[in-house]
Amino acid sequence: MRSIRTRILTAVLTFGGGALLTILLAPLIGSTPISVRRAFDWSVPFGDNPDAQIFFIARLPRTLAGALVGSTLASAGVVFQGLLRNPLATPFTLGVSAGAALGAMIAITFAPALAPSGIPAAPLASFAGSLLAVGIVYLLARARHRGLSTNTLLLAGVTMNAFFSALILFVQYFADFTDTFRILRWLMGDLDVSSYAPLVSTLPLVIASFAAFVWLARPLNLLSLGPDAAESRGLDVTGAQRVAFVSASLATGAAVSVGGPVGFIGIIVPHLVRLMVGADHRVVLPASALFGAAFLVACDVVSRTVMAPLELPVGIITALIGGPFFLWLLVRRR
Amino acid sequence: MNYVSAMLRRQPLLRHLVLLGSLAIVALPVHGQEQTRAPGRIISLVPAVTEMLFAVGAGPRVIGVSSFDHFPPEVERLERVGALLDPNVERILALRPDLVVVYRSQTDLIAQLGRAQIPTFVYGHAGLADVTSTLRDVGARAGAAARASTLASDIERRIDVVRKRFAAGPRPKTLVVIARDAFALRGIYASGGAGFIQDMIVAAGGDNVFGDTRRQAVQATSELIITRAPEIILELRGDPIDAATRAKELRTWDTLASLPAVRNKRVHIIADARTVIPGPRVAEAVELLAGAIHNE
Amino acid sequence: MLQAVDATFGYGDTPVLHGVSLDIPAGALVGLIGPNGAGKTTLLRLLSGTRRPSAGQMLLDGSPLSVRSRAALAQRIAVVPQESQLAFDYTVLEVVLMGRYAHLGTFAVEGPTDLAIARAALEATGVAALEERMFSTLSGGEKQRAIIASALAQISSSSRSSPGGEILILDEPTAALDLRYQLGVASLLHDLHARRGSTIVVSTHDLAFAARVCRTLVMIKDGRVLASGPVDDVLSAGRVRELYDVDVDVVRHGSSRLVVPRGQGDTERRA
Repeated sequence: MRSIRTRILTAVLTFGGGALLTILLAPLIGSTPISVRRAFDWSVPFGDNPDAQIFFIARLPRTLAGALVGSTLASAGVVFQGLLRNPLATPFTLGVSAGAALGAMIAITFAPALAPSGIPAAPLASFAGSLLAVGIVYLLARARHRGLSTNTLLLAGVTMNAFFSALILFVQYFADFTDTFRILRWLMGDLDVSSYAPLVSTLPLVIASFAAFVWLARPLNLLSLGPDAAESRGLDVTGAQRVAFVSASLATGAAVSVGGPVGFIGIIVPHLVRLMVGADHRVVLPASALFGAAFLVACDVVSRTVMAPLELPVGIITALIGGPFFLWLLVRRR
Repeated sequence: MNYVSAMLRRQPLLRHLVLLGSLAIVALPVHGQEQTRAPGRIISLVPAVTEMLFAVGAGPRVIGVSSFDHFPPEVERLERVGALLDPNVERILALRPDLVVVYRSQTDLIAQLGRAQIPTFVYGHAGLADVTSTLRDVGARAGAAARASTLASDIERRIDVVRKRFAAGPRPKTLVVIARDAFALRGIYASGGAGFIQDMIVAAGGDNVFGDTRRQAVQATSELIITRAPEIILELRGDPIDAATRAKELRTWDTLASLPAVRNKRVHIIADARTVIPGPRVAEAVELLAGAIHNE
Repeated sequence: MLQAVDATFGYGDTPVLHGVSLDIPAGALVGLIGPNGAGKTTLLRLLSGTRRPSAGQMLLDGSPLSVRSRAALAQRIAVVPQESQLAFDYTVLEVVLMGRYAHLGTFAVEGPTDLAIARAALEATGVAALEERMFSTLSGGEKQRAIIASALAQISSSSRSSPGGEILILDEPTAALDLRYQLGVASLLHDLHARRGSTIVVSTHDLAFAARVCRTLVMIKDGRVLASGPVDDVLSAGRVRELYDVDVDVVRHGSSRLVVPRGQGDTERRA
C-alpha cells in the first residue's frame, strides 16, 4: 500500500479535479441555452445581458450552493458514521433534519407573525430547529453515564425524529394549501438561492466544521475499534465524540438551512468513496467532501434539465439514485 | 271569511270539495317539494361558494362555514366545520344541514354524507368562466335561480367590458406570484397557464409569462424568471399587509434587479382576497388587476 | 513496576473493587483469575489507566498513572480486548498502524519507523503474511493475533531503555477461540515474554490456560484479592474451592495443570 501521504494527495487531486470540472461546467448547462462569451461580455450592460444575468444570478450561486451543501453533507455523513460506528448512519439519523423541517415549517406557516422583518425566516428558523433537536439528543445521551453512549445517541435521535415529525403534522394543521405545498417542496431540497448571501453567511460555520473534521480524521479511525479499545490506544474518546457530534451537527444544520434536507448524499458518497480509497478517514474525509460537491452539483444539473423548463427538486434525483444504490449495497453485502 | 265558512257549513258537498281541493293543493307540490324547495340549513366548505350563497340572498340560510371563510363579515359569527383537508363530519352532522357544499376531492366526506342522506353540492376548481356557471348552479340549488342569473350576467358583462377595452392594445408580460417565502425569493409559486387566475390576467389585458404551461401553479426558479423577463410583477395575497412589511417585501425583488419589472418599479403587492377567491367578486378583481397591469 | 495500592472503584453506586493491592514487577507474566463479576475487567481498566480508582492509587514506576498524559500511558501500556469489531473495512496493516496513534502528533503521519515497528509486530505475532488482507476476512485466531500486533506496535519504542518496560494486558484472550488457537495464543504470549521481555497481564476464567501461560496468579473474588503468588501456590484445591465454591482436584500433567471438578451431582445420581 502506498504511503498515506501519497494516498491523500492522489485523492485530493483526483476528486478535487473532478469537483472543479463539475463546478465550472454546471453553470453552462440549463434549460435556457446561454453563450459563455456573451455572459462575460462586459461591454453589454448587465441589465441588458440575459446570458450574464442567468449565469451570475441564477446558475452560479446555485452551483456554489450545491458544492457547499454537497461537500458538507457528505463529510458530515462520514463523521456521523464514524461516531456511531455504523456505515448506515446519515447526517439526519440523529434528528437534525426533523428539527430543521419543523423550524422551516413554523417559519413558512407563521412567517408574517414571527419573521424578524427583512431577514428571510426559513433558513434561520431551520437552523434553530436543528440546533434544538441536536441539543436535546446530546443532553439525553450524556445523561446516562460519562461519555457519549452511541446506543443512547441512536435511540435519542430516532425518538427526536418521531417526535418532531409529529409536531410537524401538528403545525401543518394551521397551514393553508400553498404553505403546505411550499413546505413539501422545501423538504425535497431546493438549491435555487439566487444570491450569494446565504452562502456567505453559512461559510464561517462550515469552515470551522471542516477544520474540526480534519482533526477528527485519525480519532475516527481509532473509534471504529470500539470506545474501550480506542481509549486504550491513547485517544480521549469522550472528547473526540463530543467534537464529532457538535461539528457534524452544526455543519448539517448549516447545509440544511441553505438547501433543505437533501437526502442520500450523506450515505451514498461516503460509501462510494470508501470503495475507491479504503477506510482510512484521513483519505475518506477530503475525498468525500470533494466528491460530495461534484455529486450534488451534477444531480442539480440533472434536476434542472431532465424535465425542462420545469424542475424536479434535487432531493428527488438523489433519492432516485439512492434507492437502487441501497438495494445494490444490500445484495452485495451478502 | 264569515261568508265562506257560513256557506261551507250549509253545503256539505262543497265542504268535501274544498277539503279535497286543499288536499290536492298540498299533495301536488309534495313531489315537487323535494326538487324545488329551497334548502334552509346550508353548510359550505368552499369559501368561494359561501360568497356566492350570500350574494344571491341565501346568506340567512347558511348555518356553517369552513375554517377559511372570511367574507362577507357575517360569516364570522357562524359555526366552523373544518376545511378541505380536515372537515369535521361530526359537527356537520350535528348541525342537521339539508345541503352541504363540498370539494370534489373530498370523496370520503361525500360518501359519508350520502349514507346520511344529506344532499351535497360538489364544487370543482376551474377557470374564470366556470365561476359564473357555478354561480348559476348554486343559485338553482339554493332556490335563488333568478337572482343568481342576474348576478352572473352582471359579472360576465363587467369582465367583458375590461376584456374588450384591452383586447387590441399591447399586453405587458406579467408574472403573477401566488406564494413565496417571506423576505426571500425562494419557494416562488407563480400562476401557470391554467386556472382562473390565468383567465383573469388574460381578461385584464396581461400576458402571463407562464401562460404556455398547462398547470395552475408553477414553481418559478430565478433562472426561469430571468428568462421570461416579466415587465410587471403582481404578488397576490389573501391576507392584508402592513406598510412596513410591504416595503420590505418589495425590496426583496432587488435581488433580480435586472428584470424589466424591477428596473421600472412595476412590482405590485396586491393584498386583496378578491383576487384569489373564484367567487362573485371576480369582476372587481379583474378590474383591479387591469388597473395594476395598465398602470392606472 | 505496575502497582495497585488499596484501589477501590465502583460504577455509580455499585462498588466493584474493595481495597485491591497488587504488585506487577517488570517482566512478570501474571494471570488474573476469578469468577465473572469478580471485578477482573474493572481491575484491568484501572491498571491501564482507562479509569481512575475512587480511593487508593495506581502507580507506574512509583508515580501515579493519573499524572501521566493519555499518550504517555498508551506508549507503555496496551490492552487487548476480548473481541474486536471493526466498523469499517480496514486492512490488517492499517489496524496495526493505529496502534502508533499515541506516538504521533495530531497532524503527523506514520513514518518509516512506525511502519518498521508495525511490521516487526506482525512478525512477532506470526501474521506478517496477512498484512494486506482485510481485517474482516480473517479467522478469529488471526484477528486476535493482529490485535495483539497492534498492541505491540503501540508499546514498542525504538528507544526503550528498560526491558520489561512494555506492558501488555489481555482481557479474556481465549474466550472466543477454539483449542488450537488457544494453544497458539499461549505459545505466542510465552514467546513475547521470552524474546522481548514484555510484562504481560492476562485476565481469564480459564484456569488451565492461566496455569499454562502464567508464572504468577492473582485470584480475585468479590472485588478483593483472595490470593496471589506463584502458580503452584495459588492454584491449589483449597484456593479453588474458596474462589468458585466447587470441589476440585488439581492434577499435574507434564507442564500443564488440570483442574478437575470432583464429585459431580449427576454422576452420583446415575450411579
